[in-house]
Amino acid sequence: MLAFHEKFNLIHQLHPITNLVFTGVVFLLALICSHPLYLLVLFMATGTVIIAAGHREEWLSYLKFSLIMILMLMIVNVTFVHYGETVLYTGPRLPVIGELIITLEALAYAGGMGLRLLVIISIFCLYTYAIHPDKVLKLFSHRGGKSVLVVTLATRLFPLMVQDYIRITEAQRCRGVKFGSGNWYERIKKTLPVFKILLVSSMDRSLQLAESMHARGYGSGRPSSYQIELWRSRDFIIIPVLGLGLLSGLWSLMHGWSSYNYYPRLADFQSEEIIMAAVIMLTLSFPAILNWGWLKCRSLRSKI
Amino acid sequence: MPVIAIQNLTYYYPNTSVPALDRINLDIKAGELVLLLGGSGSGKSSLIRAIAGLIPEYYGGTYQGKVLINRQEIQHIKRRDLAQQVGLVFQDPESQMVMTSVEQEIVFGMENLGLPNQLMKRRVMEVSSALSISSYLHGTIPELSGGQKQKVALASVLAMQPGILLLDEPTSQLDPVAGEEILTMVRRLNEDNGITVILAEQRLERCFHMADRILIMEQGRIVHDLRNQSAFSVLAAKKDISCVPPLAQMFIQAECPQIPATVKQGRDILRSYLTEDAVIRSTLADKAFRRRKDPDRQKEILNIRNLWFSYHNGQEVLKNISFSMKAGEFVVLMGSNGTGKTTLLKQINSLLKPDRGQITVLGQDSRSLSVEDLACDIGYLSQNPSDYLFLATVQEELSFTLHNLGLSDDGISHDILERLHLSQYAAANPRDLSTGQRQRVALASVLVSRPQLLLLDEPTRGLDYVLKRELGNILKELQAEGTAILVVTHDVEFAAEFADEIALMDQGSIIARGDKYAMLSNSTFYSPQISKLFNGIVDGVVTLEQGRQVLKTIMAIYHNREVV
Repeated sequence: MLAFHEKFNLIHQLHPITNLVFTGVVFLLALICSHPLYLLVLFMATGTVIIAAGHREEWLSYLKFSLIMILMLMIVNVTFVHYGETVLYTGPRLPVIGELIITLEALAYAGGMGLRLLVIISIFCLYTYAIHPDKVLKLFSHRGGKSVLVVTLATRLFPLMVQDYIRITEAQRCRGVKFGSGNWYERIKKTLPVFKILLVSSMDRSLQLAESMHARGYGSGRPSSYQIELWRSRDFIIIPVLGLGLLSGLWSLMHGWSSYNYYPRLADFQSEEIIMAAVIMLTLSFPAILNWGWLKCRSLRSKI
Repeated sequence: MPVIAIQNLTYYYPNTSVPALDRINLDIKAGELVLLLGGSGSGKSSLIRAIAGLIPEYYGGTYQGKVLINRQEIQHIKRRDLAQQVGLVFQDPESQMVMTSVEQEIVFGMENLGLPNQLMKRRVMEVSSALSISSYLHGTIPELSGGQKQKVALASVLAMQPGILLLDEPTSQLDPVAGEEILTMVRRLNEDNGITVILAEQRLERCFHMADRILIMEQGRIVHDLRNQSAFSVLAAKKDISCVPPLAQMFIQAECPQIPATVKQGRDILRSYLTEDAVIRSTLADKAFRRRKDPDRQKEILNIRNLWFSYHNGQEVLKNISFSMKAGEFVVLMGSNGTGKTTLLKQINSLLKPDRGQITVLGQDSRSLSVEDLACDIGYLSQNPSDYLFLATVQEELSFTLHNLGLSDDGISHDILERLHLSQYAAANPRDLSTGQRQRVALASVLVSRPQLLLLDEPTRGLDYVLKRELGNILKELQAEGTAILVVTHDVEFAAEFADEIALMDQGSIIARGDKYAMLSNSTFYSPQISKLFNGIVDGVVTLEQGRQVLKTIMAIYHNREVV
């Protein structure tokens, strides 16, 4: 199962480093920014690029899957966190948790974290569907360190792990395991053995892959290149713009505009925060804007 | 001058007390095609890995002795140089692929060797045309069939132009046609290019005729080193060794003084017992061997009518399938890789639902039943037994199934363990057991619910002849008790020996179904060695026992005439 399929658009035609710069910048900003406006901007910019790359359907299915996780995250947060002055609901006293108090601030905080999760999942979606795995692997096998290679291979093996997961689940269902029945605790209890088998089979697969790489001389010296990825004008235009986006994020971080106080009451948005968020939105959506021009204007396509 | 010289090699994997390789001494000359035989866990793969330098460099462990490649001790050869001299193709084509595009996979090794761009391009062109992969050179690996993937794996190694080619059961996951194609290529490389080949195989009938030399391993030792097939046959006649192919086994059991190594030799021997006026055309198979259907066992277990199915991507996998099974029937489903066999099994046990048509299991429409509902009546064992095993003991694995299905243990788990020779391992961790034992545990975990229909997907993969025979005998016992058995396999010899009926699938349709004596005779690829031997001499001979009796009869007629 190969997620990547070559498509006729600018995002697919970029140098792999340019694509990785985009994913890297968004990922970094998603980690350092806690402001919901910034996270929303990152989400929208990534979504625009994913749609420009022609992966709207795949992205929507990722989002559908993530929403369940985010919902769980919000339920846990609002149930256990009682900080915040704007009380929305006061419920009965529960064992361990105490009195059930749901506050607007806890809900907003969970929403913010959920948004961050959506950005990261969207980045992963873009990486999976719009960047050729062979190009990334080659890039890091030539230049990257061992840990980067491990991450690259792990993402390369991810689709195979999904296949393994389906296969193992099927085998267990044939033994009468009903994964869809029972309460949450029971469902998790039933799923744990699947992950146990998955872990062992993934380890076996990784060892076999590593053995195959070792036997074919991987890491035995400086490798040569069969195909050299060309740098084009489009890469030289996009990377500085993305750099500007990153600098804007860092600038915001230095001035404290990218952080947000959820507690004790939700803080108001400052004009500087909104301006910088708009700059980030514009710079990070730039590949999608350029893609639009690339598709519409033949002369632009020939020039970049 | 040997290209490979092994001197007193003993090797222990980390944290083990039993040697995987035990005092191995071996010289292999340039251009030899060596067949490495032995049961599961006999040390074949370890020896191959030691020659490739993966042992001990990659695996660690305790290592004594020397392995010399072209007179140079392997541990002193730089890894890059060693990769250029020794190429290794693994068993599972899927797990050895690093890249996702075919062309990139082929150049992966060459890039690691730092070869110049122009040379790589030339070699890609050469190997892709030599192995007939040019048509999908620019495709992606997940789109390829098993046979095509294994050809790509072979091409990626050959592109590095090694003088020594090591193959670790390269055809074990391929259908007979694809397996034959790979082995023909290996033979051609050996004959035309002089590449030294060491081939480890379980399905001896496919490659026995190719070997210049046969090494037999047991418990990490080379117990026999035979220079030709005849020597192997002589040895097989004297000793009870586990890796004798069915053809030789039949001649041994018929007490024939000559033991053939190939079908061609066998036919020569057979002809020497036949005169022109004494050609036997009686179909012994029809009279004595065909299983009579038990009138008490006419209960319909499965009925499929006009089944159509497509996956989400629109690929039509099953096309208008109609198929039925009654209690006590044993059917083997065969066909090339990717033809829809596994999908059909998943339809039967309701893991997948039909697009059109109807599947009735024990009188109930499968659309209204889930796989969990059917788990009591249908036992399904997928290709990978490890997918079933996760608990700490074998006994717990059986109890787990019973618990899930709401069944009580009325002594069934004890019976099943006993029957599958697993009683002594009841308290053992399933993952510590051997391949064959693990497979039996997975089977036990399915059989414990007393299913009326048993579905097995490639159950003989990775099993040696002895383990296969054991599995076959267990299935025959279950069949005798009334269990309907449907097996998907590429193993023609297994199908010939144990099934009653054969169904052939091609491109999503069942193109033929019938008695094994009719289906497995007169076929080029889907025919066992014994059937090939008697082809045109005695019709419908398929099984080992049948062949033995026919051969004995032919020999008796010959001797009686001589006496007269």
